[in-house]
Amino acid sequence: MAKQLGFYFDSSICVNCKVCQVACQDKNDLPPHLRWRRVLQYGGGDWLPHPSRPGLFIPNQVFSYAVSISCNHCEKPACVEVCPTGAMTKRSDGIVFVDQNNCIGCRYCEWACPYSAPQYNDIEGVMSKCNFCMDLIDKGEKPACVSACVMRALDFGDIEELRARYGNLAAIEPLPDASITSPALVITPHRHAQASGSGTGRVLNLPEEL
Amino acid sequence: MSEKNFLARALNETVLTRRSFLKWSAALGGTAALAGGLSYGLKSMEAAAQEDESEGEWISAACWHNCGGRCPNYALVKDGVVLRQKSDDTHEDSPDFPQQRGCARGRSQRKQVFGADRLKYPMKRKHWEPGGGRKELRGQDEWVRISWDEALDIVASEIKRIKEKYGNEAILCPGGAEIQRTLTLYGGYVSTYGTTSGGTLHSSKTSCLGFGAYNSVMINDRMDHRNVDLFVHWGANGASSSGGNPVYNYLQNKKQGARVIFIDPFYTDTAQVLADEWIPIRPATDHAMVLGMAYTLITEDDPVNNPLIDWDFLNRCTIGFDADHMPEGADPKDNFKDYVLGTYDGVPKTPEWASEICGVDPDRIRSLAIEIARTRNVALCMASATARVMNADSWPQMFFTFGAMTGHIGRPGSFTGDSYYHQNWSGLRCGPPIIKPGSSGVPSVGMNPLEGENVDVWTVLPKVPGIRLNDTQMWDAVVTGKYLAGKDDLRDINIQLIYHGGGATLQTRDGMTRGIEAHRKVEFVVSHSQILTTNSKYADIVLPVTTEWERYGTITAANREIGFVWASQITEPLYEAKDDIWIAAEIGKRLGLDPDVINPIPLKQQIFNQIAGAAILKGDVPYSKSEYEPLVTITEEDIKEMGVEGQPQQGRIPLKELKKRGYYQVPRYPGDNYEYVALMDFREDPEANPLPTDSGKIEIYCKKLADVVESRGWSTIKPYPAYNPAQEGYEATFADWKNKIKGEFPLQNYNIHYPRRSHSVFDNIQQLRRAFPHEFFMNPIDAEARGIKHGDIVQITSKHGTVIRPVFVTSRIMPGVVTLPHGAWVEIDEATGVDKAGADNILCGPVSTGQGVSGWNSCIVEVKKYEGPIQLEPDYKWPQRIPLKEA
Repeated sequence: MAKQLGFYFDSSICVNCKVCQVACQDKNDLPPHLRWRRVLQYGGGDWLPHPSRPGLFIPNQVFSYAVSISCNHCEKPACVEVCPTGAMTKRSDGIVFVDQNNCIGCRYCEWACPYSAPQYNDIEGVMSKCNFCMDLIDKGEKPACVSACVMRALDFGDIEELRARYGNLAAIEPLPDASITSPALVITPHRHAQASGSGTGRVLNLPEEL
Repeated sequence: MSEKNFLARALNETVLTRRSFLKWSAALGGTAALAGGLSYGLKSMEAAAQEDESEGEWISAACWHNCGGRCPNYALVKDGVVLRQKSDDTHEDSPDFPQQRGCARGRSQRKQVFGADRLKYPMKRKHWEPGGGRKELRGQDEWVRISWDEALDIVASEIKRIKEKYGNEAILCPGGAEIQRTLTLYGGYVSTYGTTSGGTLHSSKTSCLGFGAYNSVMINDRMDHRNVDLFVHWGANGASSSGGNPVYNYLQNKKQGARVIFIDPFYTDTAQVLADEWIPIRPATDHAMVLGMAYTLITEDDPVNNPLIDWDFLNRCTIGFDADHMPEGADPKDNFKDYVLGTYDGVPKTPEWASEICGVDPDRIRSLAIEIARTRNVALCMASATARVMNADSWPQMFFTFGAMTGHIGRPGSFTGDSYYHQNWSGLRCGPPIIKPGSSGVPSVGMNPLEGENVDVWTVLPKVPGIRLNDTQMWDAVVTGKYLAGKDDLRDINIQLIYHGGGATLQTRDGMTRGIEAHRKVEFVVSHSQILTTNSKYADIVLPVTTEWERYGTITAANREIGFVWASQITEPLYEAKDDIWIAAEIGKRLGLDPDVINPIPLKQQIFNQIAGAAILKGDVPYSKSEYEPLVTITEEDIKEMGVEGQPQQGRIPLKELKKRGYYQVPRYPGDNYEYVALMDFREDPEANPLPTDSGKIEIYCKKLADVVESRGWSTIKPYPAYNPAQEGYEATFADWKNKIKGEFPLQNYNIHYPRRSHSVFDNIQQLRRAFPHEFFMNPIDAEARGIKHGDIVQITSKHGTVIRPVFVTSRIMPGVVTLPHGAWVEIDEATGVDKAGADNILCGPVSTGQGVSGWNSCIVEVKKYEGPIQLEPDYKWPQRIPLKEA
């Protein structure tokens, strides 16, 4: 068994289609408001009047890219640290999941996670989040999001193998700095990706979507 | 709240309150599921494990919508319940031999089939009576459940009564192939025709190029895309319009080092991945830009020192480029080159001239022309969005003229064409299909008596025969009682019955405000649907129909390489939903017709016929010489088990395996026998391989096109591709063009495709509404000038109607341009007349130009912050449309 499973995400080819988000909702039978995987748009730039041609505007460093994020099954999971009942569990292969039999729905993990991965399931009164499709993993299959991605931007595997293959980058805007929880995540940055914490753009999604 | 929480930071940046953030996790109402379909509880780990241990059966499940992908889909069915779906995993995945992965819409298919908003019973509008009753209440009335017998009796008796009182000419049936069989046998009905998705690619491409919209012959095979050095995507946004593999395929072109340019008003999701350069352009002005490019080439070309024009191709393969290459009988002054130079009209179509119209820097217009001319292998790929523009009849001709000038036609690594539709799959519908289904065997019931002769409506002269309404004129025809049948030929018409047997006509055709008026005028409206769609919302009688998941199976046409998908039955019909063809036969019975003529072949037999007749290119020799052979191996046992009639046969894949897999795909590799270069034979020898145009060549001068347009009576064009400003295009935003003083509607609106929907299908799906809020997009300069901020509710108004939406302020769209995505189901607040849903066709008007192009991407509006009484909730919070109160 792998020591630490992780996700790989290629932001350079993500077209913001959200099939990963919806495939996860389908596979896990989630209600519409629980999105264990979600896709954010980050972008910026503006427009300037053409210096010599009245009526024309020129785009000035207009950029955008999408980031698909679920749970990073972190090596230093904040959710596990703060969980009062021990419901938040990390397996030997690194997958972090909620044991809902022991969860009391206190929502501390929701507060602690820098990635907003744990989400409160108001229907059941417990927390819920991406569990790496562990039932599929245990059968030798792939997580639903990985299988579904039409651009083949998602992959998974042992984090050391992913790092050897794709590099060590684990954070770009709008994700938080990777040093907080050491996410088991490798990202290929979009050509316009900006470093976490120092971006010049903003999350573009409508507030109601977030 | 921890500052480390990135969403909190994000929300702070968008000025959102903490309270709103916490509401993000709150429960939603109204998402109850029908028994047997969904469960919104989360399974514990043990329960999930147990379930999968005794797994149900994976069945190929239909995804049958009119989109750019058309992918296989799979449902896990256990005890009649769909547990979940999955993406294609029938073979290993690679760029050469990709899995047929679907999009978020297809992945939500089970939510559509099993949603709580499925129509369960036939319904009658509460205040309807024969004759119409309180017609003004259509769209806002209550619903009463009735029995099938009562429903069918009402429909049949109204058809009979209206036919006897007014004639068959009073019956309008814009959609529904099944009921159209019944109506044809009963004396006919008024049919409609329109350019719909293809715009003027439908209406004008045949005359000057020989092939209609999406035609397979004009685009090189996807393997050849890897030979393209410069790929120009013009107005194309496959990430939204063609879910599934298309954009993944275009990525392979980029990966081999191509330079990719996107020309579009919006820096789209597709552009953000593929574009090396984005050239923002105003909607409906593409023709002007290409003229500026043509001017550059004409004036700077020197065959010896600076060859920019492929004179050899122009001279051999086209007519009308210059005065020396005009067809017989044409006025030599009507040549394209002199038009561009302004020799006779005094207006040289310089890059500066073009820039004033299209908004692109003239230096870039000029340098792009030269770049395209000088690059060896170029793909000029136009999306139909650019042709869904008023007065754009000459635009396809213009685009292909430029392709001809630069010689990017008929060579490996080069092509000029239109793309993205599902059967194209980014160029895959090119040349003969590798796999094609057989025919169902259902015989035609004959010509609709009211249609006159069987013609191609886009090329017929002297006029479109019979009584047929163009989409852009049909609602006006109903309301005013008059329609233009051809030039100077205004006729009376008295529509009193609208039968929506299928399609989404009221929702998707231009001029919805007028359309609603039309629906409130006639005596009777009937609609088939699975959910309370727009057509049904405004009807008197609504008949609940089955989806493809509730029928024995379906064969859906797909891309060239898989040909079709065979999907099988997932569940029994829900509640009292019936098949459209059953309804057609039942109504036929009541009208004294023979139901076996209407529905002659059982669906199972039809499916078998299509499977038995399915063929595959042998592939042993290059495609042009290759023959077809049967795809499917069928045994006597298969035939007996299926309970059909047929003969055993030998093919490549056993029937049962095909049924399970859903499709067959040939593994491909570069250089295989399926590669195709469009029009290569034509280029090599146009005399031996003529195009199906009158001259056999590309007609840069096309008298036929000009004649056809003139004959329709709405506008006129030149036989060469002159620029015709769209009636509601950029020029119309000005009260004073010369001094650039804006008028009442200063912004251009167009209808970007949107990943929540396939046209209008799936708009009701909760998880898709959660993923895609149906925003209205606006540039910060335009927003700030109006005191509008990101996330505000804004009101968008055109000459034809008004809507409200949350606004997405972004620099990704150019100033002066806004976009309201296509396909949201109208929801008019009757007190104020404002549409809350943001339906594109409330803003788009019934405007007829040229051959009757539906010009959705030419629309002008004003926008302001909404100050009215409506409290607009986010789309995902809207209750589902559940018209009957009981359980």
